[in-house]
Amino acid sequence: MIMSALRNQSTSFTPLLRGEAELLHGWLRDSDSSRMLRDVAVIVVGAGLYGAAMGWWRAPEQALFVAIKFPLIILLTTLGNALLNAMLAPLLGLNITVRQSLHAVLMSFTIAAAILGAFAPLAAFMVWNAPPLTPGATHSAAYLFIKLVHVVVIAFAGIVGTGRLFQLLTNLARGNKSVARRVVFAWLAGNLLFGSQLSWVLRPFIGAPHLPVQFLRPDIAFQGNFYENVFNTICDLLFN
Amino acid sequence: MNETNQPPQLPPQIPSAKPAPPQLGDDPAEREPIPGALGAIEAILRQPRRVMFQLRHPGAGGLIAKMLAAAVFLALIYGAIVGSFSGGDQWWAAPVKVAGGLLVSALICLPSLYIFAGMSGSRAGLREIIGLVAGLLLMLTLLLVGFAPVAWLFSQSTESIMWMGFLHLVFCLIATAFALRFMNAGFAQLQARSNAGFNTWVLIFLLVLLQMTAALRPLLGTSPDFLPVEKKFFLSHWIDCMK
Repeated sequence: MIMSALRNQSTSFTPLLRGEAELLHGWLRDSDSSRMLRDVAVIVVGAGLYGAAMGWWRAPEQALFVAIKFPLIILLTTLGNALLNAMLAPLLGLNITVRQSLHAVLMSFTIAAAILGAFAPLAAFMVWNAPPLTPGATHSAAYLFIKLVHVVVIAFAGIVGTGRLFQLLTNLARGNKSVARRVVFAWLAGNLLFGSQLSWVLRPFIGAPHLPVQFLRPDIAFQGNFYENVFNTICDLLFN
Repeated sequence: MNETNQPPQLPPQIPSAKPAPPQLGDDPAEREPIPGALGAIEAILRQPRRVMFQLRHPGAGGLIAKMLAAAVFLALIYGAIVGSFSGGDQWWAAPVKVAGGLLVSALICLPSLYIFAGMSGSRAGLREIIGLVAGLLLMLTLLLVGFAPVAWLFSQSTESIMWMGFLHLVFCLIATAFALRFMNAGFAQLQARSNAGFNTWVLIFLLVLLQMTAALRPLLGTSPDFLPVEKKFFLSHWIDCMK
């Protein structure tokens, strides 16, 4: 029974991974709620597992927190930008409904989350092999390496998800790549703006070793913003 | 009028330079079921295409179980040879670590292989991917057991941990290369559009396998602890061993 459930799940999920635009177009047209629920489940499990592997280095409690926060960021970004994305699509030449635009973005995040979930055991293995996260470890080669690996894996997942979204939108735009490109860029910009600030508010993820394990940093969660921090860092590098 | 009922003469067919590769199951021998674990061992060595064909058809679950059971048994044998270098607790610790390490490496890398196969356009299901990984483990452990007499001879005649470690590493890499060749042939049958995903996965699998030599140390020497207390990257562990 478990095997047959796994088989059904894998057969319905593989078209998403393969990026079968025709089939995915059909899924969007039907806009089946059960498919959207399945996508949400994949995001919760996939991104949750990767989040757990990321937070585990600091403490098991941190693993639990990041396992909750990581999928939350993806789902909140999708929902928070749903209206904006649905408005941008027709303005940029792609006539689709709110539900279809929401499902399209959800599908791209589902692919990214599935990739993250698949890399979660590898990330956990890497963390298990790393020395403990002590205050002095933040300048160690292991810390920098682990941070770099997380960035590479998340970027890879994001790029593949976006690539599949572009294929899907090209199919929806009847092969008009320039319309698909415009919509993807607009959606990406919106998601990046919202998602990065959400990540800033919901920090910490890896967790600083000299600070307590917390779900949020209540005193600094809403202080500053992601872009201000990047700007200040660049200024410090250039002028100090 | 010179009408005849003869069809017009067709020009002779020019054979193409590259004949199309045969499909799995074209050879009737590939369709024969594989009986028992010994049958699986023989099939993977002599008829790997028969294994690939059977993995796509009903009864694949049984074949996967047989291949995994055989791989674990063979890994335990090779582990005992590894443990014979130090004796004592290593008689049981090394076989457990070798078999466990191989299984855990495969398990860790399985989800990413499934994702890479899907992204490469393959239509393979999870069961087929698990089957290929089981085949990889069986091929790898089979070759390791093939090297076992040589490894045993050296482990009885040398006292250098570094030399024995190097020897086991070379045997492991040779066995892995052949096992990955089986995987590559299997991957080619999955209708993947490109091999880039598979090649990336091979790199990840090799890194995990090599890291296991540090994560499960000592495999050769002795230690009061079953697993190491200090975490190390495999390269720094090897460098420490050479000092």
